[in-house]
Parts: sequence; structure tokens; C-alpha cells
Amino acid sequence: MTSAGSHNPSAGDRIEETLIAFFLGAMTLITFANVIARLMHSNILWALEATVFLFAFLVLMGASYAVKHTFHIGVDVVVQLLPKPTRRLVTLFAVAVCIVFSLLLFKGSWDYWWAFVTKRAFYEVNDIPMPGFLQFFAHWLNDGELYEKMPRFIPYTVMPVSSALLTYRFVQAGMRVWRGEQDLLVESHEADDEAELKEGAK
Amino acid sequence: MEALLLFVVIIGLMLTGVPIAVSLGVSSIGFLLIFSDASLASVSQTLLSAFTGHYTLLAIPFFVLASGFMSTGGVAKRIIRFAIAVVGHVSGGLAIASVFACMMFAALSGSSPATVVAIGTIVIGGMRQVGYTKEFAAGVICSAGTLGILIPPSIVMVVYAAATDVSVGRMFLAGVFPGLMAGIMLMIGIYIMAKVKGLPKQAWKGWKEIALSGMDALWGLLLIVIILGGIYSGKFTPTEAAAVAAMYAFFIANFVYRDMGPLYIEEGKSKSLLRNPHSLLTVWMHRDTRKVLFESGKLTIMLMFIIANALILKHVLTDEQIPQAIAEMMLAAGLGPIMFLVVVNVLLLIGGQFMEPSGLLIIVAPLVFPIAMELGIDPIHLGIIMVVNMEIGMITPPVGLNLFVTAGVAKLSVLNVVKAALPFVAILFVFLIIVTYYPPLSTWLPTKIMGPELVIR
Repeated sequence: MTSAGSHNPSAGDRIEETLIAFFLGAMTLITFANVIARLMHSNILWALEATVFLFAFLVLMGASYAVKHTFHIGVDVVVQLLPKPTRRLVTLFAVAVCIVFSLLLFKGSWDYWWAFVTKRAFYEVNDIPMPGFLQFFAHWLNDGELYEKMPRFIPYTVMPVSSALLTYRFVQAGMRVWRGEQDLLVESHEADDEAELKEGAK
Repeated sequence: MEALLLFVVIIGLMLTGVPIAVSLGVSSIGFLLIFSDASLASVSQTLLSAFTGHYTLLAIPFFVLASGFMSTGGVAKRIIRFAIAVVGHVSGGLAIASVFACMMFAALSGSSPATVVAIGTIVIGGMRQVGYTKEFAAGVICSAGTLGILIPPSIVMVVYAAATDVSVGRMFLAGVFPGLMAGIMLMIGIYIMAKVKGLPKQAWKGWKEIALSGMDALWGLLLIVIILGGIYSGKFTPTEAAAVAAMYAFFIANFVYRDMGPLYIEEGKSKSLLRNPHSLLTVWMHRDTRKVLFESGKLTIMLMFIIANALILKHVLTDEQIPQAIAEMMLAAGLGPIMFLVVVNVLLLIGGQFMEPSGLLIIVAPLVFPIAMELGIDPIHLGIIMVVNMEIGMITPPVGLNLFVTAGVAKLSVLNVVKAALPFVAILFVFLIIVTYYPPLSTWLPTKIMGPELVIR
């Protein structure tokens, strides 16, 4: 139905697709395990928080994958009515807006995250324990005082990383539009008409 | 005034083909930078809080996943077989059975497009074979699919609950009777059309077929019992119920129906679990499992990225006290509850044309909720009205998710689906009026089961 469904996955795609599947699967298993644990009068203390962070990873990292495979939804009717050269210009404008958005988001995410790396490096999450092999961060950033729970900057890393990736994907999309390889930024519904024409011709 | 400008910019950007999520996000960030002294870091924090701060929204990926396993795992075709066995023998039977199948699938799935895909891919071909026009078949599926968000579980209800802090459990219960009624109204409409057009009946296959197909579909239908039972017995939160539902669907699809996963051989053939016990281990890494996880992940990303950006806009609106301003304006204009609901309906019907339902609800709910409370409108009733509006929005252009999905499934142009759906839009419109002006339809069941609710103003 869409261009997103029928592509030959490259190595990069494969990694992203596996990550998307993994995040969602892990969220489900952890939440389910916690329900079972509770029915047996126990509980997994860190389950909720871990699920919530995986949720954030899933969507924020996935948003750039969605740009790559144009499955973000939007209004395409107006743009579809325009003649091709105008449509290209309008879409280039849309790309520019998206790049501005992702850059602003990157700046905000960086500022937000950086504060947790520097002056708030002592700030821990609520429940997720700190794995031992990551304790070197304590020496780097926390004056050698070991972390009991994971410091917040670790899960929050997703913010600058995902918005940087988003910017990169929008720039790539812009270049594809510029070269005339891609028509729109949002999921297109025009293909359906063509499918009908083909079928009608049979 | 600035707020009006904000909305004009959002719609303007959408029309140039900027993704909905980005239109919402970038306009809100721009507004904050120009008209307030909020920092960019606080915007990022708001975005992150969509995931870390709204525990209710966490139910969405799990409901999406449960419905993914159910449709890949072959529950749809079993439900359809049961539906045809029950109502196939009346005039226009296949179309009526399709509505019935959509209603049942809606009780397993929280999303309308998912319902259209699951049921539509199978029945549209079937309806064409017995001589219905493609347009009629598409119209039926497109509109019956909207029941996905009215019959519990429902992603849109989860979003409404998250936006207004009403109970998800209550919202789900409130959807039961309106959902049944909307389904029955669609069926009656189809029956009349079938009589007029002389659409064919199916053969009556007997009670045995009903019993057999019913037993076969039962495994899938038990999902709704798990969800509602779990929530109302207090065993799980709605989010946990959704995760349990996803796991249940996973096991049913792989080990009971065996239409996917390591035990599946080909259409109608599968291996026995007892002879292949190792499949209990291989299933976790199986490519079908990965595929369902990935496809559900994609849908979650699309929905949640819009919702997260809508939350930034919501943040702006609350910061600027726009809901209060609108409330004062409306109250000063002497708006009574009835006129208010008319205004809400018009607003949502227009908004529903341009926006994806979850995102729209996140924005509109905080705007109208305080006013509704002021006017003494029941929050649950308001929620159901909003959901029904969203249903209509999904089958009216230019942004009607169901239209797009149906067009894809039926291989018709979007414009043809729009025309085909029109008579059913009329039916749903009548239904909307009934729901709006007869609150007990929505509020009776939740009050009966969970007791009267406390409205805190």
C-alpha cells in the first residue's frame, strides 16, 4: 500500500527495524512479567520505569525511521493538486520547516541532556539499579561517588541522539526531493488511484 | 488573538505537506519562543514526558500489538466465519455479517484502521464474489471499521482518559452500549439498502455451523473478557491489561490458531505443539513474531509522535490559559449545555477532517473539558461524544485514516471510497445526535457497574 511496506531492507534498515521490534517486545515482556510477579505477591521494582524509557526510545528513535520511509501522516490532497514543479517547491518548503523543527528539538534536547551530564550528574532515576560495569561514570562525572540507581543522563541520551538522527533524515529527505526522487514528505495516497487504473485496464 | 494565529499556522503548515506531528510541534515551539520566555530545554522535557509522565498512554503500544497478533494470527477469518454463520442468511447478509465481524474485531482491537485492514482484506473480496459492487463493500467496511474506537478497548478512549484524568475503565464500559447501537444502526441501514438493491442472501448453514465457528472464534473473543475482567476486578491497571492482552494474543496466534509462527506450515495446515515442543523457544525469535512487533512498532511510532507533539501544543495552550479564556467567552455568551455540545460537535467535526483522532483529542479535550464541567456535563458522556465525532472524522476527507486504509485494501481511489462511505456517514451522524442528547446511553453501564463517579471541579 505504501512505499514503507515494500522495500529491500538495507543493513541500516535492518538494524532500525530490529530495534523497533526489540523495544516493543521488551516493553511487553517486562510489563507482563511484572503482572505475573504481582499475582505471586512479589514485584519487579524497576519494571514500570524501564518500560517507560523503552517506550520513549521506541517512538523517538522510530520517528526518524518514519521519515526515512515516509510513513508520517499528513494532508496530501492540496499538494497533490499542484503541478509538479510547484509541488516540488512546496515540498522543499515543508522539508525546510521540518529541518527547523528538528534542529530546535536538537538544541533543546542537548541543553536538557547536558545539564544532567554536568551539574545534575548526581540525579538518579527512581527505580532502575545501576549496572556495575557502568560505574566508571561515577568517577568521571560524580566525583567518584558510586551510583545506586542509574543516573538520569543515561536514558536521557535518547533525546539528543534521536533529534540529531531526525535532523539527518530530514536533510536526506530534502535531498531526495531536490533531486526529484521523492515527491512528498508524508504518506502518499495517490498510489491508490494508479492501482485502480491498472486494475481497470485489465 | 495569538492563539488564533497559532492554529492558522498549524493548519497552513499541514496543507503544505508538513507531517501533522511536525506542524503541531514546530508551531508550538515557535509560539513559545516568540511569545513567552520558555526555554527549548523545557520543550524537550515536555516531549519526553509524553512517555515518562503519562502512564495511561503506555497502554497504546500494547493494544496495537495485541491487535497485530490477532490479525496476523488468523482471528479475523474465524470471526468472519462466525459472523456469516449467524447473520449471513438475511438480505445483504454478507455486508451485515461484515459489520458484525467488525464489531467483534473492535472488541479485540483499539483502533479503527486496524479493524478495516483485518476484516476488510478478507470480506471485500468475498462481497464482490457474490455480486456486491466494490464501492458498496468498501463503504460498509470503511464505516463499520470506525467501531474500532467506540467498542472497547479503544486507543482514542485511552488518549481521552490521559488528557482529562477520567478513568479508562469507565470510558471502556461507556463505549459498550453506544458501540452496539451504532453497529445495529449500520446493520439496519444496510438491510434497507439491500432490500432496495436486491442484494443476495447466503445459504443458512444451520445451528451446527454457528456452534462450530463460534467455538473456533471463542479463543480470540476471550481477549475482551481478559481486558475488561482484569480491569474491573482490579487485578490489572488498563495498561497492564493491554500488555496481558498482547501476550495472550501472541500465544493464541502461535499455539492455538497456528496461523503464524513456528508451527505454521501453509494455509489451513499446521504442526502440533506436542510434537514440536522446541517451538516454545523458537517462537520468540521467529520472523513472524519480529514482523508483527515491527509493524505494530511502526503504528505506535506514528501515533505517539503525533500525540507527543500535540502535548507540546497542549502545554502552550495551558500556559497561555487559553482554555480558561475560551470558557469565559462561552459562558459570557450565555451558552447552555445543549448549545455547548453543538459547538463541541461542530468543532470536532471540522477538526476531525484535518487531524488524526488521538492528536486532536489531546488538544481539544483540555480546551472543552473545563467548560463542560462548569456546565455540569458528565465527563464520561463528553468522552463518548468526542469518540463518535472522531469516528465520523475518520471517514470524511481530507484526513480520514479509514478512507486511506480502505482505499488501499479495496484498491479503489480515495475519492470513490469517500462517495461510497457517504450514506453511512449519514447514519453515524444520526447516531451522533442520539449519543449527544441521550447521556444515559453512555453513562448508565459505568454507573451501574462502578458506582456513581465523583466529579471534581
